[in-house]
Amino acid sequence: MNAALRYLGQAVAYAAFAVTLGYFSTSPAYQQLPPDYALIKLSFSHAAQRKQPCRERTPEELSRLPRNMRIAKDCPRERSNVVVEMDMDDQTLYHGVLPPSGLAHDGASSVYRRLPVRAGTHHLVLRLKDTEQGDFGFIRDATVTLEPGRVMVIDFKADAPGAGGWVLHGVGQP
Amino acid sequence: MIRAIQAVAQSLLLRLDNLFNHLFGPESNPLYQLGAITYFLFWIILGSGLYLYAFYRTGVQEAFDSVEAITHAQWYLGGVMRSLHRYASDGMVLTVLIHMARNFAMNRLSGFRAFSWITGIVALLFLYISGINGYWLVWDRLAQFVAVATTEWLDWFPIFSSPLVRNFLIQESLNDRFFSLLSFAHLGIPLMMLALVVVHTQRVSGARTHPSLPLAVGWSLMLLGLALFRPAVSQGRADLSTVPAQVNLDWFFLPSYPLIYAWSPGRLWALIGGALAFLLLLPALTRTRRPREGFRITTVPTVRAFSAKPGETILEAGLRQGVRLPYVCRDGACGACKGTILHGEVEYGVYQAQTLTQAERSAGRALFCRAMPLSDLEIEYYENELQKQAPVRLLTCTVHAMRRVAPDVMMLWLRPCTDEPLRFFAGQYLDVLLDVGARRSFSFANPPHDNDLIELHIRRIEGGRFTSHVFSQMRVGEELRIEGPLGTFPQDDDVPTIFLAGATGFAPVKSMLEHRFHVGSRTRMLLYWGVRSRADLYMADLASAWQREHPNFAFVPVLSAPLAEDQWQGRTGLVHEAVLADFPDLKGFRIYACGSMQMVQAARPAFLAQGLPEDMCISDAFLIAAQRDAAAKVAIA
Repeated sequence: MNAALRYLGQAVAYAAFAVTLGYFSTSPAYQQLPPDYALIKLSFSHAAQRKQPCRERTPEELSRLPRNMRIAKDCPRERSNVVVEMDMDDQTLYHGVLPPSGLAHDGASSVYRRLPVRAGTHHLVLRLKDTEQGDFGFIRDATVTLEPGRVMVIDFKADAPGAGGWVLHGVGQP
Repeated sequence: MIRAIQAVAQSLLLRLDNLFNHLFGPESNPLYQLGAITYFLFWIILGSGLYLYAFYRTGVQEAFDSVEAITHAQWYLGGVMRSLHRYASDGMVLTVLIHMARNFAMNRLSGFRAFSWITGIVALLFLYISGINGYWLVWDRLAQFVAVATTEWLDWFPIFSSPLVRNFLIQESLNDRFFSLLSFAHLGIPLMMLALVVVHTQRVSGARTHPSLPLAVGWSLMLLGLALFRPAVSQGRADLSTVPAQVNLDWFFLPSYPLIYAWSPGRLWALIGGALAFLLLLPALTRTRRPREGFRITTVPTVRAFSAKPGETILEAGLRQGVRLPYVCRDGACGACKGTILHGEVEYGVYQAQTLTQAERSAGRALFCRAMPLSDLEIEYYENELQKQAPVRLLTCTVHAMRRVAPDVMMLWLRPCTDEPLRFFAGQYLDVLLDVGARRSFSFANPPHDNDLIELHIRRIEGGRFTSHVFSQMRVGEELRIEGPLGTFPQDDDVPTIFLAGATGFAPVKSMLEHRFHVGSRTRMLLYWGVRSRADLYMADLASAWQREHPNFAFVPVLSAPLAEDQWQGRTGLVHEAVLADFPDLKGFRIYACGSMQMVQAARPAFLAQGLPEDMCISDAFLIAAQRDAAAKVAIA
């Protein structure tokens, strides 16, 4: 192979490599979400109520305990599951029973759900129960408008002002 | 199944090698230097990264703004640096993957090579972590996608008390310190990777870490061209209130990300974990049954002995143990490592068919880069190329002339009884073979280009059998049997050189100097010639003539025991002490010390103590040890 052909061949080889690098470093484009969809992110971290309330220890119980552990109240650490439901336009979009974290099941219950939905106006009902007994203690009923490509984050803070502890980020409300 | 895949891949690779050998030549075939190219790309990434780091600002807003400023406000430098950083990183992924595929195809991953294979895979993981981490820093739409997708993927493992992805729910979740953490990680992870790659490389005998110059230039130009014609740009400021619905992915670093959503994070974990486990197990799956013990390899005419581990090629074994067998591609394509198996059996391995013909195999030839011993071997090996160019010969010579030039020094001129003159290099020597099996060594005193006759300077040794014969009985026309040339001598001519000659140690120095004068050397050269008295300076006139004719040469005679009748006005004492007195700092010099063992043993430590680098002190005593161990800076005078 003569020198000119060799150099030409080398140029072609380098060009092929450059084209490979240049193209695949950005292409083909990846479509993560269809154009007419929006995204709901349901995510919160909430510590539920204790499974059992504190109680007073009897004098007999206290006397059986080592001297340094004689505390009058006995408070079991274990927390209840958090039950959460999310309905959209009268259809259940999510239902979850979230156990508390930690080896002693005394930590917060957490959830993260990524829910692509069609853009538009929707009726949402959010419910949360954080006690062992009883019904849903935190309910939020809202009509929201989701624009294409928007992210609506649904958070929960029990002490948040407003209705039911539910916090909606990034949403237009009619 | 794996063997079948390897066989197909080998066949394809050999064809590709062949094509690239035609285009680039074996010495610059990129497929033979994938590791070296990867190193080269790392240095580009490091250099461009440090530049970008100087202008990068850590902050939720500042990160994106500063990268935009680097890219657009100083497109000619910052923009180019960013693009080089991106494309060199992508190129690194590509070269590493091809490197892996090549080693898999060539079945170079089991046995003692498993260590390099496994450390290579771990280094690859670091490369991916580092690259993905780098994309976060830009904090554009792609960074947002990568950050959210990564944390969603990591959250599949229920080990975090609160999902990591909650850090990217809303814009307010982020703070500036997060970007400081990211930038520190982007420095630390690549450095850890580099440390791992160094370990990975160190275990490979003679591994190349710098590509050939043409390849380095070619890759630099290619990356620069890419940076100018298709600069790397950001994809819009990150906004956590919207979905980056469509992103331009870097498919070298992020090919698995779409699977997080197309499948599920759990399935992607299974895929990556399974692939990783498979890769880590590959050395065991491809292991070839070999004897547990290695084999012994001995070489002739340069006598060396070394061992080959099971599965190790002759070349790898040699390089590992300091035997400098020649090679270029190490892939059975260029033929530079082709050698002769004198005794023993080998497995020839995979190689380009035209590189080693069947006729050559039948004649005992093999490619040492691919051949693995199946028994103890004896192979042909010359210490270096010099020996190959000047092969050792057994010759009969006649004494052409003899002249007594000093009371104890006889100059002999021998004429080889052969049509072909004896080829040798300045500084080499020959052995005169005596009847009873004894031999005597003498340096060539004539330069290699003037080799019709062989010039020897012989000093009379009291009671010496051969030298006594030379001084008393030898006559012109007498026949002598010689073997030579023997030994090697470095030919470096790049720094000022001091020749230290003791008595007839002048002979090899004369050969080297005349050779240098012949080739027009402009290096500064000094000759310190030490003898007892004036009469022993048997060629002082010649040395003085050199000094007159060559401005870069100086001659310093030194007498250790001048006689009264010498009326000596010049330097006295031990010759090496004259050098020490003239040069308080010997750094920057090379010294050839040719003479008696006593002179060399006294001179060498004194020179080293006065700043002469150890590898710049080349002497008789050093030579003997060096021949065994290093094969380079050696000489026998």
